[in-house]
Amino acid sequence: MYKYDHIDQTLVDQRVAQFRDQVSRRLNGTLAEEEFRPIRLQNGLYHQRHAFMLRVAIPYGLFSAKQLRTLALISEKYDRGYGHFTTRQNIQYNWVTLEDTPDILAELAKVEMHAIQTSGNCIRNITSDAFAGVAGDEYVDPRPVCELLRQWSTLHPEFAHLPRKFKFAVNGAKEDRTVLLCHDVGIELKKNTNNELTADIYAGGGMGRTPILGSLIKQDLPWHVLPSYLTALLRVYNRFGRRDNLYKARIKILVKALGPEEFARQVEGEWLHIKNGDDNFTQAEWNRVAQHFTKPAYKSLTALSAAQVIDLATEAEKAAFARWIERNVKSHQVPGYTSVILSLKPHGTVAPGDVTTAQMLAIADLADQYSFGELRATHEQNLVLADVEQSKLYELWQEAKRQKVALPNVGLLTDIIACPGGDFCSLANAKSLPIAKAIQERFDDLDYLFDLGGISLNISGCINSCGHHHVGNIGVLGVDKDGEEWYQITLGGEQGNDAAIGKVIGPSFYADEIPNVITNIINTYVKERTEDESFISTYRRLGVAPFKEAAYKDKLENAKKKDEVGDKVAAGDAS
Amino acid sequence: MSNTNTSSAHLIASHQEIVHFPKGGKPALAANEWLVWSGSQDEGGLPDLEHEAHKVLAPFTWWIERHHEADVIAKAKNGQIGVWFATDDDILKHAELIEAGKQYWPLVAAYFPIFRDGRSFSTAALLRDRLGWNKEIRMIGDVLIDQLLQGARVGFDSFALRHDQDLNVALQQFDLFSVTTQNSWRGKRSLLATN
Repeated sequence: MYKYDHIDQTLVDQRVAQFRDQVSRRLNGTLAEEEFRPIRLQNGLYHQRHAFMLRVAIPYGLFSAKQLRTLALISEKYDRGYGHFTTRQNIQYNWVTLEDTPDILAELAKVEMHAIQTSGNCIRNITSDAFAGVAGDEYVDPRPVCELLRQWSTLHPEFAHLPRKFKFAVNGAKEDRTVLLCHDVGIELKKNTNNELTADIYAGGGMGRTPILGSLIKQDLPWHVLPSYLTALLRVYNRFGRRDNLYKARIKILVKALGPEEFARQVEGEWLHIKNGDDNFTQAEWNRVAQHFTKPAYKSLTALSAAQVIDLATEAEKAAFARWIERNVKSHQVPGYTSVILSLKPHGTVAPGDVTTAQMLAIADLADQYSFGELRATHEQNLVLADVEQSKLYELWQEAKRQKVALPNVGLLTDIIACPGGDFCSLANAKSLPIAKAIQERFDDLDYLFDLGGISLNISGCINSCGHHHVGNIGVLGVDKDGEEWYQITLGGEQGNDAAIGKVIGPSFYADEIPNVITNIINTYVKERTEDESFISTYRRLGVAPFKEAAYKDKLENAKKKDEVGDKVAAGDAS
Repeated sequence: MSNTNTSSAHLIASHQEIVHFPKGGKPALAANEWLVWSGSQDEGGLPDLEHEAHKVLAPFTWWIERHHEADVIAKAKNGQIGVWFATDDDILKHAELIEAGKQYWPLVAAYFPIFRDGRSFSTAALLRDRLGWNKEIRMIGDVLIDQLLQGARVGFDSFALRHDQDLNVALQQFDLFSVTTQNSWRGKRSLLATN
């Protein structure tokens, strides 16, 4: 994985010193809170409902066991013994203090980590495929491009105060695991017929209150001109993006207002003047960065069949082990190796994506022992050990079970993506975590979950949609009505190559109605599905009507009962 | 410390002293010789250059309308007029006028209505990179200590800070970073610079 050179290290160290001074000016009152706010946000520090929250960047999701140990120590020393992995390949601490933050950032800098631009109206942490470099369906390893873009965007002066936050995703595999089209800019890497690395650029995607999928605005852009092209694109957005209304300030609104063709034309017009400049990446820069993303020292192994792997387990454990292999172990480019997803979604206990200090330390050991000391954070709030020998899967599984990160629910209904919601976030209109917990408790039967197959269920506590509810097959959105927490259901959302935005099915529900509503929707799927048909396929075949009817069934029956009681009372024969 | 230029409501206020940071030079305090006229004066004319000050930065929109007038040209030729760009001035649409203005204006400025509105960063970058402006560009408006570094890197070389900002702290901002990871008006990114 990437190693800082003296430039990276100096920059991060000096950033810590800069922030230490800014915090001290805030604390002595010479820097007003309103003016400190964008500064602290660009250093990852939010003010939440109860305390400060620090969001630490894990660029393109890749980190080391050593870094995870530091993250664990920070959670122990400065927080309440846990951290929260987010959909944006960051980790958040929910209970830090302003005074401690410079020290935390200094601890992070020692292990080549930072919180730069994890928040604020600037270019955010760049996300990518958690299986980069190992996925069987990969045609370009996106990591060198991600790292070059990380450097280019870090403390970029012209784009430090954009109209709103700005998110890049980079994909280089056949299957999109980055939700590419829901980013301000999606960069799809390809090799052209001359085997040269090029990029297709999608712009204007995003979730939030106006979910829009990005549009293709540029094809076959040579990789090395990405900085000049993106400068042109951001310059158009910086100059003409709306600033009068927070909710209309994202680039998606500008692209929609101009139309993708006109937006592309304006970017092209700007780019014309800078495309041959020395902002572009050089081959020397590529070489320096790419040398860190070579393959680890794989052994020459013979690939095992699924049956051979399952045979590693004792008779009593074979069924459970096979289930874990099926859901949580992915194919790999190298014979004899696999990638393992550690589920951070144990049923009904903690928030999706939460990990305790002890778990972090234990997972770091697992990474050292089984996966060349490297880890990845996924968009679905799980962790990945990318390079595990097939022959060691059984012993790894037993260790993972001990750490409670071996639940075989990856991609299943209880692998819920959820934001921290009203329990922590001051933006939230409603809680997310108790809803996730209630659904996990309701669907606690692993056999049943397996039978249901792949279904994504995403929960957001407010319209900002940090829980990505728009792209969940089933989406749950917390809404506020007259000071009360309600939940709106969307159906038909999808991430991946067939990305789609879910549709709201109708009026919202109370929190305690949600498990029944989900059950009724799922029962409809079970009743209507053809053999091997996934939830989303059934939904696409039948449309919303039968699911909607099922979702509101209980509500209608309750209303009917109430009417009957009312009638009896009116008739004077209530007992 | 906080002497202010707020004598007239039609002027954009700032600290009495400005920070000058020429490219290749060192940041230092300097006297502020320029009034920044908001353009809001009822008569539609410049402030009285005889009594208030001898030099004025006028809104670019005013220049667009009045630059043909003899008295405007006379003052401009005398080095008494510069222009400032509002955040929504599309300078690229007026590239020819800016080209012509190079012979008159000793400096131009770009305005920050609030410190977190970054449009004028792009204005300065375009003035330097595209329009070839090579004289002074001043940051005016809601200019705070913590935006100076960004301003200095996109192309600003003088800074009229808000009146309540501590100029001594301001002067220390420019050498916080000894490395960069992208090119700026002041130099190449560290990796290219060291090669």
